[in-house]
Amino acid sequence: MTTTTLNHDEAHHHDMPTGWRRWLFSTNHKDIGTLYLLFALTMLFLGGASAMLIRLELFQPGIQLLDPDLYNNLVTNHALIMIFGAVMPAAAGLANWMIPMMIGAPDMALPRMNNLSFWILPAAATMLILSFVVPFFPGGGTQINTGWTLYPPLSVQVGMSMDFLIFAIHLLGISSVLASINIIVTLLNMRAPGMTLMTMPMFCWTWLVTAFLLILVVPVLAGGVTMLLFDRHFGTSFFDAAGGGDPVLFQHLFWFFGHPEVYILLLPSIGVLSHVIPAFSRKPLFGYKSMVGAMLTVATIGMVVWAHHQYTVGMSLGAVTYFMIGTILISIPVGLMIFNFIATMWRGAMTFETPMLFAVAIILMFTFGGLSGVMLAVVPADMQYHDSMFVVAHFHYVLMPGAVFGLFAGVFYWLPKWTGHMYDETLGKIFFWTNVIGFNITFFPQHFLGLAGMPRRIVDYNMMFTEFNVISSVGAIIFGLSHLLLLYIVIKTIRGGKKAESRAWEGAKGLEWELDSPPAFHTWTVAPQIK
Amino acid sequence: MRIPKYQTPELRNKNVRLAWVLGGMAIFFLVTSFPFWTGLFRIVGTQAMP
Repeated sequence: MTTTTLNHDEAHHHDMPTGWRRWLFSTNHKDIGTLYLLFALTMLFLGGASAMLIRLELFQPGIQLLDPDLYNNLVTNHALIMIFGAVMPAAAGLANWMIPMMIGAPDMALPRMNNLSFWILPAAATMLILSFVVPFFPGGGTQINTGWTLYPPLSVQVGMSMDFLIFAIHLLGISSVLASINIIVTLLNMRAPGMTLMTMPMFCWTWLVTAFLLILVVPVLAGGVTMLLFDRHFGTSFFDAAGGGDPVLFQHLFWFFGHPEVYILLLPSIGVLSHVIPAFSRKPLFGYKSMVGAMLTVATIGMVVWAHHQYTVGMSLGAVTYFMIGTILISIPVGLMIFNFIATMWRGAMTFETPMLFAVAIILMFTFGGLSGVMLAVVPADMQYHDSMFVVAHFHYVLMPGAVFGLFAGVFYWLPKWTGHMYDETLGKIFFWTNVIGFNITFFPQHFLGLAGMPRRIVDYNMMFTEFNVISSVGAIIFGLSHLLLLYIVIKTIRGGKKAESRAWEGAKGLEWELDSPPAFHTWTVAPQIK
Repeated sequence: MRIPKYQTPELRNKNVRLAWVLGGMAIFFLVTSFPFWTGLFRIVGTQAMP
């Protein structure tokens, strides 16, 4: 995209509903984006609270605060809340806010479906929370002690809380699929005249691929948990060997969803980086076409390597060899993306505002998580690491920097655009450093714990693991509390601060920066002409 | 909630058509990517046997 002719009409504030109707009946992409982001922030604190409880319990050996089932219920809920409640809605929030503004569209293609996609989420979250709460009531049955993978036969034996969870997953899946359909239709049908797919902003590309991935894999999870529901209540034996079924089938179904889900979480953040790094390096993104190619390759290979999560379940040598090679191959396109980011920074006039600090941290820490991923992809090595704290360290190094830090970078990058105010840069940097240092203190020692043999998802541990667990728990407290600062910064920025210009960052490029900060309630009601 | 002014009937039809195609794709994956129906029929058949 080189030049744009801006002939957008005057700001449209007159059509803005007020009060609760504005939010409940909203079809405005900016309002729905805000709702998604607020929802995600709430769930981040809920999921974070469960993580803090887990780390408090693991502060020393023995059982202090939580009985084993409650501990495992917290582990289950922490994962589900963070993945489905925090990261995915936050990414959808960014998509809702930014995609129409980036492609010169007045709104999402299907605004009423957009409203439905969001408002399913609070209902799903209620079900998810109920699945945690129900066992505390008389007759509520047992806690969900399966972990987020919900493997049978344990998940068939759990009490009624599992039914709440299955229902929550169905609702979350419906919400995700509807949102994905909306995003794909918007990107394919609503781009401004002159904007081709290969000149579309990279954030839009990452979301296009993410949305297709969601449509491909979420229905499979829905099918898996539906069969689970049938096994629990309707006398079927899909996953019961005694009835002719196979519990490993569920693992395949779950990971057919679960592995692409990792890329679903990562790709929107890669999209954010593709804007933040060029903006603060004051250079265009290096290798746009190769980024698109790499992303499509990651998505394609990522769809067919799911069983590397199940090496220990007992597969043929040919199968595990295939899954091992496929998994290791993914590191090539991912590495290409990282090299493109580094090449973008190379000889750029770089400055290190908070979004850029997060971007640099992501490159370093996500690469580290990727390297431990290659270790886990190797079958004989994985036989040793499997279900140890090493795996916990690995996926937190992938998902926190790869997904969550990317979202933080996006929030800090676009917050001036959304609110019309610059955030407090000093506080932003304090948040970055406490967050990143807290994260590393929490998760780096877990590599050593795992290699020394500490299993995950167990409430107690051997005395020999105490020191590293103490360090990890102290780090978790720093890490967890640092998010209160994020909340403060966001509230402070919404309430006031230095006025943000239309182009809040000197190096920022794209249609969204041609609009006022904050943008009018309706924008691009007349499409810009891209030349 | 009403149809936004910017959506011409042509654009709206185009959007809704693509949405149905994508929705159909999701349903296709739901019912065919796992052995739900074959398994159900097999199990129902087994249970029906004396």
